[in-house]
Amino acid sequence: MTVVPALSMTGISKAFPGVRALDGVDFECLPGEVHAICGENGAGKSTLMKILGGSYRPDAGAIHLAGKAMQFTHPRQAAEAGIAIIHQELSLLPHRTVADNIFMGHEIARRGLLDKAAMRERAAELLRRIGARIDPQALVSSLSIAFQQLVEIAKALLLDTRILVMDEPTAALDERDSRTLLNLVDSLRGDGVSIVYISHRMPEVTAIADRITILKDGRKIWTRPRDAAPISEIVRAMVGRDLKDFYPAAPASMPREVLLSIKGGTNGALRDVTFDVRAGEIIGVAGLEDSGKGALAQALVGDAPFTSGTVALRGQPIALRTPRQATAAGIGYLPGDRKREGLALRQSVRDNALLTLRSMVGLLTRPQRGALADGVIDERLRAMDVRAADFGQEIGTLSGGNQQKAIIVRWLAQASDILVFVEPTRGIDIAAKAAIYETMRVFADSGRCIVVVSSDMPELIGIADRVLVMHQGRISGDVPRGASEEEIMHLALGLADAPSEETGA
Amino acid sequence: MTADIVKPKPGVPVAVLLAGLSIGFFVVVALATGETAQLSGQGVTGLLQRMVALGLVAIGQTFVILVGSIDLSVAALISAVAVLASHVMQGDPAMMLPAILVCLGLCVAVGFVNGALVAYGGINPLIATLGTGLIIQGVLAASFGALQGSVAREFQIIAYGGVLGVPYSLLLLATLSLCAAFVLDRTLFGARIYAVGGNPDGARLAGIRTERVILSAHMVASLFAGAAGLYLAARLQSGTPWIGRDGIYDLESIAVTVIGGTILAGGKGGVAGTLAGVLLFASLDAGFNMLGIDAFLKQVLRGTIVIAAVAVHAVRAKGHVA
Repeated sequence: MTVVPALSMTGISKAFPGVRALDGVDFECLPGEVHAICGENGAGKSTLMKILGGSYRPDAGAIHLAGKAMQFTHPRQAAEAGIAIIHQELSLLPHRTVADNIFMGHEIARRGLLDKAAMRERAAELLRRIGARIDPQALVSSLSIAFQQLVEIAKALLLDTRILVMDEPTAALDERDSRTLLNLVDSLRGDGVSIVYISHRMPEVTAIADRITILKDGRKIWTRPRDAAPISEIVRAMVGRDLKDFYPAAPASMPREVLLSIKGGTNGALRDVTFDVRAGEIIGVAGLEDSGKGALAQALVGDAPFTSGTVALRGQPIALRTPRQATAAGIGYLPGDRKREGLALRQSVRDNALLTLRSMVGLLTRPQRGALADGVIDERLRAMDVRAADFGQEIGTLSGGNQQKAIIVRWLAQASDILVFVEPTRGIDIAAKAAIYETMRVFADSGRCIVVVSSDMPELIGIADRVLVMHQGRISGDVPRGASEEEIMHLALGLADAPSEETGA
Repeated sequence: MTADIVKPKPGVPVAVLLAGLSIGFFVVVALATGETAQLSGQGVTGLLQRMVALGLVAIGQTFVILVGSIDLSVAALISAVAVLASHVMQGDPAMMLPAILVCLGLCVAVGFVNGALVAYGGINPLIATLGTGLIIQGVLAASFGALQGSVAREFQIIAYGGVLGVPYSLLLLATLSLCAAFVLDRTLFGARIYAVGGNPDGARLAGIRTERVILSAHMVASLFAGAAGLYLAARLQSGTPWIGRDGIYDLESIAVTVIGGTILAGGKGGVAGTLAGVLLFASLDAGFNMLGIDAFLKQVLRGTIVIAAVAVHAVRAKGHVA
């Protein structure tokens, strides 16, 4: 039996000045199929989806929907043809209600007059269908990221969507919300929707996808059914190396003296947080969304300081009330939202790497002297293997992995002893991930330490020497290297300490 | 995702708060200075009439700011319309309708150019509309000698006539305000304005032709500026090339819009807030007059109040996040 694919893209090519983004890529998705696309950043996934969504026109190749040839010149045409794309950056209106957002561009109206009651009702119905308990009248800005994601999905379902593209849908979600989302994907598949699923999270891909396609450097490597594609194979096809070299080995030496000690740290989002960070250690911080793990990072770097409790650096009490105090104390920060909090996107790689050094020196320091000289910072950037044609180019043009490395250089140049990383590899491809993990290990082994906050549990287990698990603003547990995901999840859900009990998650 | 249903948070609307403050200030000053006549029907009507010109411009400005743009050419356009209306009419009542049509035609054209420069030309709206404003102002100053005239006496009824003690000008402002509020709140066009202002990329991906929405918003702004120009021509009997500039209608319309809670980035706000902002300015003016405060101090106080109002919004916005 042959099924007509809901979507078939054949021989798609697209070139940008200087880059061959796609080269004769074939891709298809059957009705009621989840087809995952994996590939490093820059492999061509986003370009392929932008062509599908009508944002770009292909140089060559054809798109067929249910056997019918299509040509899109505007995203609206793709939407009308039943294609919905949920982008990594959510496209919601924060100041409008959920119902307004779901109906953006497709309002129910008679002769230009809105029928608000009908829209509210239909929005409530859609939200019920996806199991989201959200009031259609709530303002989007009052929702968490996870809820906003659900609004995006409801938005896609409003149109008679037959092909749903999800680009890293779980990147901003914690473990529990990710599971809920995957269940939702599963039920949409049951309704006959074709789903194109793009993700860097391998366990998710192998759990949900019917077929997997690998892109590398703008070409398709292979398409295989899930059973024929174990994670190790996928990773090898994506980067040409094995997964076991992925995380650096545990350090040979034991952690040394205490560098940073927090006692009874409390603020609006944190309650009685107490822990020590030792030289040579990488400490992971796990937890669900709103567990306080993000707030802990912000408190350590003085962005949202502790209101009570004590902080001691090498035994000396210090105040961390502003990011400047934290920086002066040798604490560096890689924020989770790289584009908004980490980078000046329109400035050069060099300027970004020099940001902290320049902000900490006196106003009358000569800008090209000592550590501030181009040559010195270039040396550090090269040592970190930041790949740019020229360090004078805008950092916004680099891949996420290279941007992240440039931020690390910023703190290395500042000679920070303690680095606080938040979601260090979010949206970053596998090769760059491995490089960042290696850098983290080397940094810690040199007698300094790292606190890494992450929603990616395999990452924490792979990289951290011990993991603090947070639940409702408290540290609910502390597990050593080698702990299982179940153990961490158990603590994150705030269940009893004994992981042998039924989790019921 | 298993958390409780997220409920909208209630709060006092900005417009009500602002209008309350303005009225309170006006009443207190009138009582304190013994000018109780200001609190009579006539006094209040006078206060409200101060709102008309700025109110009309500001409603139009609200549309462009909501869509994420801005219009600095309104002051020059007001002058142009006032001059053109007087010139075409030459005191002849038969020419009233043609004059109005010519003026509105000019507004549509200016709005179209502004909108096209911003939406299709990708030119920063501050620069684009500053440029068109300068061009209009320049042409007007150069050709004013050839554009003499005055409006018909019958036309001045707009400014001085009324029904049952309510001036026509106030009725005009009220009607247009209601229309504008209705359009923003209840029509497709309104929904698209909020969508484009709130998230231009998202709106485009949702299939909205964002350029057209921006263009239309600019035409609305120019038409409202034109209405203000016609009203001023009726009040002053003949237009001069400087009435828009002297009234600082460009910057004040932006100020009252922002005071009224419309954010400069676009996507949030509305007509009610803007009108409350206009009322605040009108009551301040009236109050300062009663108190006999001199013109320069008045400017200082106004400036302080603009900053304070926007600061209050900033604090309120932060409070919502926490």
